[in-house]
Amino acid sequence: MKITEKIDVRFPRTLAEALRLQAGEQTRGKLLAGGTDLMVQWAAGVPAPERATSVWNLPELSAIEMAPDAIEIGAGVTHAFLRDCVQIRRHLPALVAAAATVGAAQIQSRGTLGGNAANASPAGDTAPALLVTGGSVVLASLSGRREVPLDRFWIDYRKIDARPDEIIVAFRLPPKGRAKERFRKIGTRRAQAISKVMAASRILVEKGRIVSAAIALGSVAPTPVRLAQVEAFLVGKKLSPKLIDEAEQLAQATVAPIADIRSSAEYRRWASGRLVRDALEHL
Amino acid sequence: MTKRTSKPVRLIGKGMPRVDADGKVRGTTRYLNDIDYKGIWHGVVVRSPVPRGILRAIVPGPAFAGDNLVLATAKDIPGENVVHMHDRTMPLLAEIGGEIRYRGEPVAVVAAATPEQAAAAARDVRIEVDELPPLLTLDEAVAIFKSAPGKLDTMKEQTIVKGDLAQGFTAADDVVEAEYWAGHQEQLYLENQGLVVFPQKDGSILSEGSIQCPYFPVHELNDPLKLPPEKIRVRQTPIGGAFGGKEDYPTMLTGYAALPALKSGKPVKITYERNEDILFTPKRHPVWVRFKTGFKKDGTLTAIECDYILDGGAYLTISDVVMYRGILHCALAYRCDNVVIRGKVARTNSFPCGAFRGFGAPQAIWGIESHMDAIAARLGKTPHEYRLQVHARPGDVTPTGQTLSDENGSTACLKLALKRSDFARKLRQASRGKLRKGQKKFVGVGLSFFAHGSAFTGDGEAKFKAKGRVELARLEDGKPGINIRVSSTEMGQGVHTIFTQIAADALSLDAARIRFPMADTGLVPNSGPTVASRTTMVVGNVVYRAALDLKNQIESFAALRFFKGAPAELRGSRLLSKGARPVSFETAAKAMLAEIGSASGFFEFLLPADIRWDQATFKGDSYPGYSWSANVAEIEIDPLTCELEVKRVTAIVDIGRVINPVTATGQVEGGLTQALGYAVMEKIGTGKNGLYDAARLQTYIIPTALDVPEYDVKFVEYPYSFAPPGAKGLGELPMDGLAPAIANAIEAAIGRRLRQIPLTPEAIFAALHPAQGGTP
Repeated sequence: MKITEKIDVRFPRTLAEALRLQAGEQTRGKLLAGGTDLMVQWAAGVPAPERATSVWNLPELSAIEMAPDAIEIGAGVTHAFLRDCVQIRRHLPALVAAAATVGAAQIQSRGTLGGNAANASPAGDTAPALLVTGGSVVLASLSGRREVPLDRFWIDYRKIDARPDEIIVAFRLPPKGRAKERFRKIGTRRAQAISKVMAASRILVEKGRIVSAAIALGSVAPTPVRLAQVEAFLVGKKLSPKLIDEAEQLAQATVAPIADIRSSAEYRRWASGRLVRDALEHL
Repeated sequence: MTKRTSKPVRLIGKGMPRVDADGKVRGTTRYLNDIDYKGIWHGVVVRSPVPRGILRAIVPGPAFAGDNLVLATAKDIPGENVVHMHDRTMPLLAEIGGEIRYRGEPVAVVAAATPEQAAAAARDVRIEVDELPPLLTLDEAVAIFKSAPGKLDTMKEQTIVKGDLAQGFTAADDVVEAEYWAGHQEQLYLENQGLVVFPQKDGSILSEGSIQCPYFPVHELNDPLKLPPEKIRVRQTPIGGAFGGKEDYPTMLTGYAALPALKSGKPVKITYERNEDILFTPKRHPVWVRFKTGFKKDGTLTAIECDYILDGGAYLTISDVVMYRGILHCALAYRCDNVVIRGKVARTNSFPCGAFRGFGAPQAIWGIESHMDAIAARLGKTPHEYRLQVHARPGDVTPTGQTLSDENGSTACLKLALKRSDFARKLRQASRGKLRKGQKKFVGVGLSFFAHGSAFTGDGEAKFKAKGRVELARLEDGKPGINIRVSSTEMGQGVHTIFTQIAADALSLDAARIRFPMADTGLVPNSGPTVASRTTMVVGNVVYRAALDLKNQIESFAALRFFKGAPAELRGSRLLSKGARPVSFETAAKAMLAEIGSASGFFEFLLPADIRWDQATFKGDSYPGYSWSANVAEIEIDPLTCELEVKRVTAIVDIGRVINPVTATGQVEGGLTQALGYAVMEKIGTGKNGLYDAARLQTYIIPTALDVPEYDVKFVEYPYSFAPPGAKGLGELPMDGLAPAIANAIEAAIGRRLRQIPLTPEAIFAALHPAQGGTP
C-alpha cells in the first residue's frame, strides 16, 4: 500500500471549509497543496499523518490581483503558472525566474508558491525572490486574517510564523517599479536541482547612485536571508568596480553557511559574494 | 510464376528497430513488480546497525508471536554459510559470534504474507553487536599504504611486469609522478533490484527476477543452499537496466529470499525501494592510482610505474577480476618497453563494491589519460601530438606481451576525433585561466584515448567455452520459426535485436520468424554472463555459427525431402534448388518438425589455438580483441561561480563490425552520459556511521536531459575476423574515457589540474581560489 493511500485526505471546496477543518489541528504538516515536498518527505520516512487537508485548487487561493502598490498572488498559484505569466514577469521578474528553476516541468505544474514558502526549506527556490520584494504573507484562520512581512516569516530552520490553524492564502508583493531584479541559482545540475547557493536582488540605481537595494540568499543559513549589512553598505553609494569588489567581500564576510551533501561551506561563502557581484554587474 | 531467386537477408549493419521496443514504449512489458504473483510472501533483510563488531545476538520481538511470518538466520542455512563468489569468504548471513564487517551486513531475513507485516517484523528484531573500530574509506587505507605498505589489508594483489623498470628510469631524461582519485558510483538502473524465489516440491528452487547473469546464482549458492546446480533454476524477467549492478548482487538476493522460502515453503519475493537499493547494493570501486613515468627529451616513454588500489569493501566478492581489468588498462594504449603495474584490492568496512560498466577500466583510464596530458605539458608538447607520437598501434606489444594485430583501429580513432572536433584549433583558443576580450567564460578542450579489452580477461573465454543453441520451433502463431537459446540478457543494450539480426543473416531468414525468449537456465545452455563487453563478440559468434549449423540441417532436410537430393540453399526465407520450384521456409520447416520432431544448431565458442595466457605472471594475450576510442570534450567554466558546462563531446569508436548502428550509437551516447555523471556530479561517500551519504535521488545527482552535451559519435570498423560477424566489445567502452577528457579540458580552460573526480564547481573553486580555501 502506498503511503498516501493510508492518509485520510479531505478535499474542502472552499477556503472557509478548509479553515474549519484546519481549526482543530495541532500541526501544519497536514496541509497538502501540490504535495511535491510532503510526498517526497513521507516516502523518505518522515512519519505521515493520519489525515490531511488538501488546499489544492481552492478558488480563493488561485487568484492573482494586480494593484498599483502590490500584486497579490494566491498561495495556490503554481510555479508553472508563474513561469508563463507575462504580466507578472514585468513586475516581479526574479520571482518568475525562480519559479522556472523549481524542479522540472512536472514539479512546476504541481508545486505552489504557498507550498514552497510553507515548506520553509532554506533552499526553497522562490524564497529569496519573495524576500527582495519587501512584501508580506497573508494568513487566514477562523479568527481572521493577518499579514506577516516576508523578512520575519521564516523564523528558523523549517519554522514559519504561522499557527497550525492558519492557512497561507496569498503573497502581497510590491512590484519592482524602476528597480532592476536579478535571480541566479547555482544548482547541483541544470534541472531537478536543489540549490547550492542562490541569490535574488532588487536594486534601484539613479544617476549612477544606488537608491535602494534588497539582496537575498538561499541555502547559506537556516532560513532564506536578506543581506541587510550589504544592502546598507550599498545604499547611497556610486556604483563602481571598487564598490562591487567591496560588496562581494562584505557578503562573504557576512554569511556563515554550512557544508552538507550538496556543497562545502567555503564554496557557499565564496559564491555568496560572487552572486552579489553578479547582481551589481547587471544593473 | 514463382520467382526462382530470392534476395539474401542482410540485416547486419542496418539500424533495425529494437524488437523489444513496442512493449517498452507502450508500457506493456511486464517487469517483476508488474507481475501479480498470487500467494507469495514478502521478504525483508535485517541488517547490522554498525559497520564492524562481533554479532552477539539476534532477538526477535513480540511481532513474531503471530502466524504467517518466518525469521531466517544463519542457523537456517542448509549447508555451509559461504557464498562462492571468487574466494569463498563471504557468509550469506552473519553468524552469531562472527565478525560483522560492514554497516547493513545481512544478519537475518524476515518473510511475511504482506510487505507491511514483514517490514514491521524486521524492525522488531534486535541486533546485539560488540562494536569494533572500523576502517571505512579508501583515504584511510591509502594513508596506511603510504606510511606502512605492509600493513595495508589487501584481499588480492597482482603485478604486471614488462622489461626492466630500473633501466627504464635510468634511460629517462625526466620523470612525472602524480596521484589520481575517484570515488564510488551508483549504477542507478531504473528498475530496482528484485526477485521471487519459489521453493519446489523436490527441494529445488526457482528464482525469477531482474537478474543480469542467470547462471551466477546457479553456481554460487550450492554450498549454502546445499543444492547442486541443476536444483537452482533461474528465470529472467524483463530487466529495467543493470549496468553491472545486477551481475553479482542478485546471487545474494536469491540466497536471502531462498532461506525463508525453504523454511516456510512459501514463495518469497524481495524487492528494494530506491533508498535501500542505493544503500545496500554494490557500487563502482573507489580508486587511488599513482603513476610515475620516465621519458626521453623527444617524448619516448621509457618507464611506466603504477600503483592501483581499489576499495573492495568488506569482502572480495568479484573485486579481484575488477582489479585485473583495471591494471590491464593502466598502460595499454601507449608504447613503453618497461612497465610495472601493481594492483591491490584493499579491504574496508564498507559495502562490498561490485560490477559496474567499465569494471576497473574507467578508474585506470581516468589516471593514465590525466597523466598523459601532464607528461605532454612537461615536454612542451600538445596533448594530441604527444598521443599521436606514442600511442599503441598494430605491431606494438602491450604490457603483458601481447602483439596488437592489425585489427586495432587505434590510430584511426585518434586521428578522426582530432579532425572532427577541430581539436588543434580549439586547443590554441583555450583560455588557460585568462579571459579574452569579450569572453565571459573560460573555454577549454580536452582529449582522451583508450582501449577496452573485449570479453573475459586472458584465457577466460577459451576455458569457459560459451554455449548457444538456435532451434527450430513452432512459434506462438502456430507457424514455424526460430528460438535463440542463450543466457545473454536484454537489459536495454539491445542484445535481443542484434542477435535477431545475426541469426536472420546467418539463416537468411525473415527476422519476423525469429524469437529470443527470456533466459531460463532450465532451457538455455550457458553462454556466460552478460558482462565484460563480450556478448556481441563472443555470444554473437556462437549464435551466428549455431544458426549456420541449423541452416545446414534445414538445407540437407529440404534437399532430400523436396529436391530429390539436389543441393538446396535457404536464402531469403525460401529453399532454392537449381531448376526446381522454391519451397518456402514455412513449408520446409513444418515438414521438418513433423518428421524429425525438433532440430537445432549448436555451437561452443573457440578462441584461436595460439592464444597464450599465464594467469600467475599476467603474461600473454590479455584479451582476444580490443575496442578503441578517442573522446574530445569541449567545456566552458563560468569564472563567476566556477560552474562547469560540457558543451560538446566527440567520440570516435572502433568496435569492429557494427551490427546495428542505431542501437550502437544509442549505447555510446548513453555510456557517455553515464560517464559524464561520473566525471562531473555523481558523488557518494561513506559517512562516519558506515552508510552511504547520498542515498536518495534527491542527493545522488545524475545528469538530466538538460545536462547532456551535443554528441558527435562516429564508428571506424576494424572487425575481429576470427569471430564472425566480426564485432568487438561495445558496452563498457563509452564509460571509460570521458572523465579525463573533461579534466584535461578543465586544465586547458583554467590552467589547473584536478586529480579527483567528480569535477565539481567546489573542486574548480578550490583550485582557482586556494586562498579562500575549501575542500572539493
